[in-house]
Amino acid sequence: MEKPEISENQIKIPPSHKFLADVDDFLEGILRKFKTEDSVIADIAISVSELVNNAVTHGQKINSGLPVTVQINCLNDKIKISVTDNGGGFDPEELDDPLADENLLKEVGRGLFIVRSLMDSVDIEANDNGTTISITKTIQ
Amino acid sequence: MRLSDRELDGIVILEPKGKIMGGPDATLLHDKLHEIIEAGKKRVVIDLSQVDWMNSTGLGILISTLTTLRNNDGELKLANVTEKIKSLLVITKLAPVFDSFDTIDDAVKAFK
Repeated sequence: MEKPEISENQIKIPPSHKFLADVDDFLEGILRKFKTEDSVIADIAISVSELVNNAVTHGQKINSGLPVTVQINCLNDKIKISVTDNGGGFDPEELDDPLADENLLKEVGRGLFIVRSLMDSVDIEANDNGTTISITKTIQ
Repeated sequence: MRLSDRELDGIVILEPKGKIMGGPDATLLHDKLHEIIEAGKKRVVIDLSQVDWMNSTGLGILISTLTTLRNNDGELKLANVTEKIKSLLVITKLAPVFDSFDTIDDAVKAFK
């Protein structure tokens, strides 16, 4: 896979940060259809960019080169977005507290904390085949 | 993200535009910063007025810029921090780490 593949409610990208903008364009296009407020679109876009960044950086340890999948589903007044990578992910319990004094000036390590702060819910499902993180947010 | 720069009273003004989300954005700002430091300029203002949003990578870039400048006896100030970015700085407890000003002029004056 060398370039993004898009279907109605899903985008698959090669595991590279350079495709973050493709995911953002796809996501914003869908959210605009629901007349979602700009501020809410930004919160969702920030969160999805965090998850895709993590999936590209950390989710390629077992099967490198496999795509990262972003799936979007609308449920009444909520949107659910799932980001799936291909294994070797992480244990959220082992993440450092980004608010601790000793971590405050670290350049990385606050992505999932931001997602949890901005979204209504965050669900993490990890198994040998990969990690899927699903987020929901009220959009209307 | 696009990045332009200019000088005002000997102070470098960096003006990123768009969304700061990772990958090439970090490289662009990192390279520009090192170009600035190698040119002997150590006082920098980042004008955030035209940044739609940033994620943790963007915050990491701001932290990296701050620490790199401080390690080279320089200083960083932020100007025109949007509400969206301000709220990210607050929830991550980074707001007190940065000197923020309402305008570029105010940020430039603060160096004197």
